[in-house]
Amino acid sequence: MTKLQMTLQQVKVLTYASMRARYRKTIIGFIWVVLNPILMYSVQAIVFTKFLQLNLPDYYLFLLGGLLPWIFINSSWDFCTSSIVSAGSILKSFQISPLTILFSSILENFINFFAAFIILVIPTLLFSDSLSSGMILFPISLALLILFTSFTTSIFSLMYVFYRDIKYITHFLMSILFFLTPIFYPPSFIPSQYKWIIDVNPLYMIIAPFRACLYNTPLPEILMMQLKGFGVVLVLGIIFTTYWKKCKNEILFKI
Amino acid sequence: MKFSSKSEQIVSVQNLNLVYHVDHYTNKSIKDLFVSLASSPIKSLTASARYYHVLQDINFDIYKGDRVGLLGINGAGKTSLCRCIAQMVVPNSGQVVVNGKTRAIFDTSIGIVPELTGRENAEVICSLLYPELSHKERQEVIEESLEFSELGEFLDVPYLKYSKGMQARLSLSIVSARGCDLLILDEVYDGADIFFREKVSARVLNMIKNSGAVIFVSHSLEQIEEACNKVVILDRSKVIYNGDVAQGITIYKNLLRK
Repeated sequence: MTKLQMTLQQVKVLTYASMRARYRKTIIGFIWVVLNPILMYSVQAIVFTKFLQLNLPDYYLFLLGGLLPWIFINSSWDFCTSSIVSAGSILKSFQISPLTILFSSILENFINFFAAFIILVIPTLLFSDSLSSGMILFPISLALLILFTSFTTSIFSLMYVFYRDIKYITHFLMSILFFLTPIFYPPSFIPSQYKWIIDVNPLYMIIAPFRACLYNTPLPEILMMQLKGFGVVLVLGIIFTTYWKKCKNEILFKI
Repeated sequence: MKFSSKSEQIVSVQNLNLVYHVDHYTNKSIKDLFVSLASSPIKSLTASARYYHVLQDINFDIYKGDRVGLLGINGAGKTSLCRCIAQMVVPNSGQVVVNGKTRAIFDTSIGIVPELTGRENAEVICSLLYPELSHKERQEVIEESLEFSELGEFLDVPYLKYSKGMQARLSLSIVSARGCDLLILDEVYDGADIFFREKVSARVLNMIKNSGAVIFVSHSLEQIEEACNKVVILDRSKVIYNGDVAQGITIYKNLLRK
């Protein structure tokens, strides 16, 4: 068994154990975790179509493509940022890498996201007028979303070991970015003089190709979006690797 | 880290140095950084980093059959040295040569997921300690360890309800279940009752006979005398003694009197 296979095995075991403990305590357990994004999606869909009367074709699909990846990123930042510190006693006691702990909590969050996604996307696609041909490129967009979330969460989680107020900053960032990122409104609503805001928004560069695959967008346009998303992921990967190399020896000392 | 091919030598530590960033001792926040940068930018940007030498020029070897007692007052660097040998921390300079598989445990009162039962935690601990084993082999280790722990019906009670002694029983039973080239036990007997400590000691000694070596870290000189055939003393980040147990204990007692 290679070192990578052993690490993956440990990630699987920790994720399963954590989920088993979490959902044993509540009656509806896992259903509640999945229900949360479904309720959020339903309320926003009603408010924006019925109250604010946003007139976009297939708005339910448009909102789903933007809101679900946003919920995944937001909950990962929220749920996993403190995972290394919370597992301090385990890391100090056993020969486990902090990254094993981190990736197991990201995986747990991804399972919740994916369950909600499947529950929501299948009926929405069935009731929509046309099935997007962009679905062929969907696995690439999903991979970009997973990598973006893993890298940003890992960077924040490592920073949290040394700077405990990073959680407040991520909360603050997410509250602002929810309105600055075209999640519930299309980018065409933004006046041209403010377009630069979405051009420099890495969150949008990841959410845009995810939504484009679901929401009838020409394939070349999706590929261009994915290329931008790949650039963002590459930069984040370099930042994460550099930061990890710099601080990995100090983690056990600080937690 | 390099791996030696000498069959009898299990560990070789050469000129090992480990340094930590002193600033990481203090609880800093992004706000603190921002305030210090805004109030005195030149001082903040030009301030040189402060370092603490945790381990300094450490040299020693461990051979097959060695049961090394690592002694030293609190803060001498015992745990950091063990973590370097267990490859949990990379030394800043020098090298640690480990010939074979290392298994280390630094605290026996840790439940990976305290909400789960002792039996379920045993499954998780076993996966973390023995990732190289197949599913079937791991199940055998779990069953054998649970029987050895004598926790009986408490195995199906949530781990968070366990006393320190029960926690130690579970962890020590699993960690000593299979032989390895080097076993590192850092103050892990603390909490276990005398009866169980004797039982585990016998099992560990038997394990050593069949496999490699052990590093014991303990403040109990009685335990060191009983279980070890060699002593290494650390004082202020340096090795000050490496040799016979009886003489080592005398030197350590003198060190405590100072």
